Amino acid sequence: MTDTPPLSPQDEADALAAEYVLGVLSLVERTAAEARARRDADFAARISTWENRLSGLNDEFADVPAPDLLPRIEARLFPVAAKPRRAWAGWLIGAATAAALVIGAVYLTQTGPAPTLGGQLAAETGDLRFEAQYAGTTLTLTRISGSAAEAGRVHQLWLIAGEAAPVSLGLIEGDALSVTLPQVAEGIVLAVSLEPAGGSPTGAPTGPVLVTGSLTAI
Amino acid sequence: MLTGDDPVALLLFRTASQDRAAFRDLYAATSSKLMGVLLRILGQRAEAEDALQEVYTRVWLRAARFDPEKGRGMTWLIAIARNHAIDRLRTRSESTAEDGEAEAIVDTTPSAESRLIAAGEAGRVADCLAKLEPDRAEAVKGAYLTGLSYVDLAARHDVPLNTMRTWLRRSLQKLKECLDQ
Repeated sequence: MTDTPPLSPQDEADALAAEYVLGVLSLVERTAAEARARRDADFAARISTWENRLSGLNDEFADVPAPDLLPRIEARLFPVAAKPRRAWAGWLIGAATAAALVIGAVYLTQTGPAPTLGGQLAAETGDLRFEAQYAGTTLTLTRISGSAAEAGRVHQLWLIAGEAAPVSLGLIEGDALSVTLPQVAEGIVLAVSLEPAGGSPTGAPTGPVLVTGSLTAI
Repeated sequence: MLTGDDPVALLLFRTASQDRAAFRDLYAATSSKLMGVLLRILGQRAEAEDALQEVYTRVWLRAARFDPEKGRGMTWLIAIARNHAIDRLRTRSESTAEDGEAEAIVDTTPSAESRLIAAGEAGRVADCLAKLEPDRAEAVKGAYLTGLSYVDLAARHDVPLNTMRTWLRRSLQKLKECLDQ
């Protein structure tokens, strides 16, 4: 701002962190501040400090009983494991199938490994965002804001390692997608493109890339 | 420090280890507070409920990043809820910006003008806000509690945007000096 006296970079960073926490910035400025906080630990710490400084105001928020939305939240977070592939389905018959399904169901309710990598997929504009997490050997992508693709289209997840061509990780048909990947390195890039129903016909992204992000250590 | 005086932090730690029972306990213990935050900022019950689902989705996914050295569990949760609500407000107002008017914010909280509790952290913020000029203290509270943007505040106080920014930055600097004493 032209009529603001010039500030040192530290003071400027602190003022921006305060504005971010106070909530007065525009969406573009907020998104930029969040991106900065992810790569600039000093700036992230300034945000935490301001959150604590102003936390005394939190008492002004009155409690409002919330309905039990847990079933819907859990359905979004813990999608039922993908069905066995058709080729395998024939092998799993009768009692063996029932036993396997019971074991599977029990296993799913147990706690899993803690995530080691995480990141957010977002765009400069628009409210579509996904949170990505890699835990054990499972990469999970969960839509945390924005809408699913319109009818006749689908969101497709791509993994981009270095200069290599994007590799499809699957279609995001609901709110989340879980994929088993034996190994994922820090810094790997994920992208979601908009594709025709059924996914990209060419094996490479054909539609616009809606959001991108990379995985960093948690 | 992770001690018994912050039960929310303990639940966040267990949630971070993928403990779904702890996540349910966390929802039971904190959802009314976060619903209060979301409803105050968003002003519409249906949208606040929608936002609440997204907030707890993020809480599950990000619990491992909670660091008790940096603050209390409830402060961390409220920051996630406020940030999400403000993002939604900005998306809403920027998509309806063609008519040149900032979206009116419905204040649904009955205790909107209630006095701050003169104890602990709340009391300190209240004391420090009281040292600012009343309209500036009002701008700070309006932004924090109801999600007003610089554009909204400039319109409400009838000053140019840059003036509002200068005001608010100075007020925040004064608040900081007072609160850090």
